[in-house]
Amino acid sequence: MMKALGPLSRRRFLTASASLGIGTMAAPYVARADDPTLRITGWGGKWGEVMKAEIGPAFESEFKCKLQIDSAFPYLPKLQASSRSAPIYDVMHTNSNEQWAAAEMGLVEPKIDAKLVPNLADVYPYAISDKIVGVSIFTSAIGLGMRTDKGYSGVTSWKELWDAKYNGVRGGYVIPVNSLGQAFLMMCGTLFGKGQLDLDAAYMALEKLKPIKIVDFTGAMEKMLLSGEVGMCVIHDSGIYRYDGQNQPTDFVSPSEGVLSLEQVLTITPGSKMKELANAYVNYMLRPEVQKRLAETVWYSPANKKVKLDAKYDAKLLTTPEKVSKLIQVDWKWYNERKDEIDQRVNRIFRA
Amino acid sequence: MSASIEIAGVSKVYDGGVRAVDAVAMDIRQGEFFSLLGPSGCGKTTTLRMIAGFEIPSAGAIRVDGADITHVPAHKRDMGMVFQNYALFPHRTVAENVAFGLRMRGLDKATIAAKVKAALAMVELSGLEDRRPAQLSGGQQQRVALARAIVIAPRVLLCDEPLGALDKKLRQQMQFELKQLQKKLGLTLVFVTHDQEEALAMSDRIAVMNGGRVEQVGTPTEIYNQPTTRFVADFIGDTNIFRGERAGPNLDVGKGLILALPPSEMQSTGVLSVALRPEKIRLSPRTDAAVTAGSAARGVIESTNFLGGAVLYRVTLEGGHRVLVQQPNAGTSRLFVPGNGVTLDWTPADLVVLKD
Amino acid sequence: MQGTASHSPSLAAPQQATRTAAAARPYGRYLYLAINIAILVFLLAPIAVVVVFALNPTPFIQFPPVGVSLRWFEKFFASRDFMHALWFSLEVAVLTTVSATALGASAALALARGNLPGTRLIVATMLSPLMLPAILTGLALFQTYVLLDVGRPTWGLVAGHTLVTLPYVVRTTLAVLHNFDTRLEEAAQNLGASPLRTFFEVTLPLIKPGVLAGAIFAFIVSFDQFPVSLFLVSPGNETLPVTLFNYLKFDLDGTIGAASVVSIVLAFVVVIGLDRTVGLRSYVKL
Repeated sequence: MMKALGPLSRRRFLTASASLGIGTMAAPYVARADDPTLRITGWGGKWGEVMKAEIGPAFESEFKCKLQIDSAFPYLPKLQASSRSAPIYDVMHTNSNEQWAAAEMGLVEPKIDAKLVPNLADVYPYAISDKIVGVSIFTSAIGLGMRTDKGYSGVTSWKELWDAKYNGVRGGYVIPVNSLGQAFLMMCGTLFGKGQLDLDAAYMALEKLKPIKIVDFTGAMEKMLLSGEVGMCVIHDSGIYRYDGQNQPTDFVSPSEGVLSLEQVLTITPGSKMKELANAYVNYMLRPEVQKRLAETVWYSPANKKVKLDAKYDAKLLTTPEKVSKLIQVDWKWYNERKDEIDQRVNRIFRA
Repeated sequence: MSASIEIAGVSKVYDGGVRAVDAVAMDIRQGEFFSLLGPSGCGKTTTLRMIAGFEIPSAGAIRVDGADITHVPAHKRDMGMVFQNYALFPHRTVAENVAFGLRMRGLDKATIAAKVKAALAMVELSGLEDRRPAQLSGGQQQRVALARAIVIAPRVLLCDEPLGALDKKLRQQMQFELKQLQKKLGLTLVFVTHDQEEALAMSDRIAVMNGGRVEQVGTPTEIYNQPTTRFVADFIGDTNIFRGERAGPNLDVGKGLILALPPSEMQSTGVLSVALRPEKIRLSPRTDAAVTAGSAARGVIESTNFLGGAVLYRVTLEGGHRVLVQQPNAGTSRLFVPGNGVTLDWTPADLVVLKD
Repeated sequence: MQGTASHSPSLAAPQQATRTAAAARPYGRYLYLAINIAILVFLLAPIAVVVVFALNPTPFIQFPPVGVSLRWFEKFFASRDFMHALWFSLEVAVLTTVSATALGASAALALARGNLPGTRLIVATMLSPLMLPAILTGLALFQTYVLLDVGRPTWGLVAGHTLVTLPYVVRTTLAVLHNFDTRLEEAAQNLGASPLRTFFEVTLPLIKPGVLAGAIFAFIVSFDQFPVSLFLVSPGNETLPVTLFNYLKFDLDGTIGAASVVSIVLAFVVVIGLDRTVGLRSYVKL
């Protein structure tokens, strides 16, 4: 692979050296110069690979356009820094909490027009609920991840995480920077207080969770669980299921109180000059075949009700109204308004 | 071929109004060893730098063999220069340093090699071609600098305190060698120094500078024996300077001391300064006989300074004047010690009347 | 030192003080050694961890390592994204090195020699990118480009990198110019070299160590640059550090370690190469 790519890169390198200051370099794939360009954001990893190799090119040839996917974080500050009338993205793909922050600043349109995106008619209610800006095209379920080789059994409740036997192998997140951590904080209010918004109960619960190993990246938690450094942790289902077939001694527990949803949300920027293409893209991403391909790549539960996944995926992902009903959505608008205060408080809890 | 240099009313005024060189005029003859002598800050180096083309005069002109070169850039002046601390190129070998000027002149390799070889032989550095300057002693570096400057057969050789960094013994040897070389090659050499002994020993002529001006131009003997200004008399060697009112054929310098003026100075009037070299005064044990007014005085030895070949006495005259007297150490006459009463006498013709 | 220690016990009482000092000296020496070793370990530990991570077959950091495998290197070299990022980073670093060195060295020369008014202010301005958090430099440039509607071209990224590497070149070049004897240039001119010739024959060779040191800094700072690149990379053209960061969010495996090892080796090779070809050694012993 390296050999095959080497000469090409070297040639590009020389060209660029010679043309310093001339302008952008050629994109890695060929698009006609006069094709419109749709600028979107997107994840890296397996998702990015499939997008780049299949889903993206298929969209480009169908809609005669060029898809420019920015997979380099952070999306929101970049969007924020660009002008409202000429935003650097037409469609933004990110987690729900960031979408809410963007919507509050007027950087993204709060709703997707069902008339322009016909596939919207086929999504589960959670995907366009009042807890969602734009549309959620996929969701993960946040629950508990555990080692299966440590004799832990009969885990059915979130409250299990507070059991003293997990002292030293309990895993959580740096709440100010991690969506899973934030969602989990809201769950604590539900578990031990009057509901999601009962922050005092949540803080008390977090206090009792110590000692706990906290990480900032979700990926880091996956590795700690795989290495056995952590035995029981908060995690999303796709973070466990992606190692399916590798015989890893880990499993995902969907607690009886419900799972938190970690939505993959698409929004359109108000200043986009490519509204039509943007809506087409959202609609495209909700197509059953696209949903199926991506869902089976990264173990995300598709938002489109009509998607039929292979049995292996169907068994584990949220693919029926009953399973979807277990999803608990976080009120990110409410959360974002109190984010600073919450950050301060949880920092104090975990610093001590 | 060596050239003559004419410096015509050259001044250099820096930003901020500092007048480093003030209306300097002198003619340097072809094949002459010409020194610019003076204390630091007197303008001698600035004058040299203007000759080299590193500074542009604010006024006046510099001519070489009659051609005005005032505004010719340094690299087209065809002059060699030996810098203070030598300014050898540290990244090049001895041979490369010497070859530099020849390369700039576009000579072919064989010619360059031959000339470099000859130049290094002349300064007795054969065999050190591949050394770097840092691997040489101070004296060797000095010779490389000299070879580098003369190998281009410059019209004029400029030297900016070239021997200042050497120890005394080596300096004297280099003085001798440089002088020999200059004579042998018939070089016009402009030599900047603050060391009066060095200037007296080497120069055909010397320009003594002070405060940006030329005080006196002359041969070493003229400069020493007939200083024309108080500054020159004071700067060159030790001297006794008296200042007083003209009274007939004499000068009344106060405190009861009268000096008979030399016959050549009879036309001077008013207030005068005169210089009398310490070695021109004779000392003898004090007697009760009256001294000849105007050419003798009585005093007491205050201190002595044994110089080896001579003894320098500090004598307090009866009226209170203090004078320096130098006597040769002949080995026969006894030496005076502090407290001895002495009689001093001199020849009026040895008095030099100075301009202030 | 050992000699002193061994014969000191036989000394008589008056030498008590000396003996104490002699006995204390070995401890001082050991302490000195210990501190040095501690510093070295502290400096090298991250590299060691990265190497272990890169060679360990498990997809997570594990101590002690369970084996040695090149699978992460294979994965790194087989990844189109990583290879593209690696070449792109090299390309950006080389362009940055060239532009920062040319601009920085000329600027330093002008500042040291030009008799410019407000030299100190200009120097302070040129060094100011070092004072500003690089993330802000990146963000400010990004906003500027967006305002000017030039997008995020490669030259924009190179310009950003040049901005943050320029201070190194200016600083190192000014340092050598500070000790530069201008009489060497006068000597060259006196010997018949035109100002241009003087520059190439004398000035440049003599300031080369400073310029080269600046160039090496520029290369390394650009090649490892993350904060400035974060905002300035364009989709499809991400530098290696940005690609690693994004990869880290989804896959935290040994590929990161392999990439780090490769980039350390590469940076090392470039530095050695620059050193050998452009040459520091010839007169450094001076």
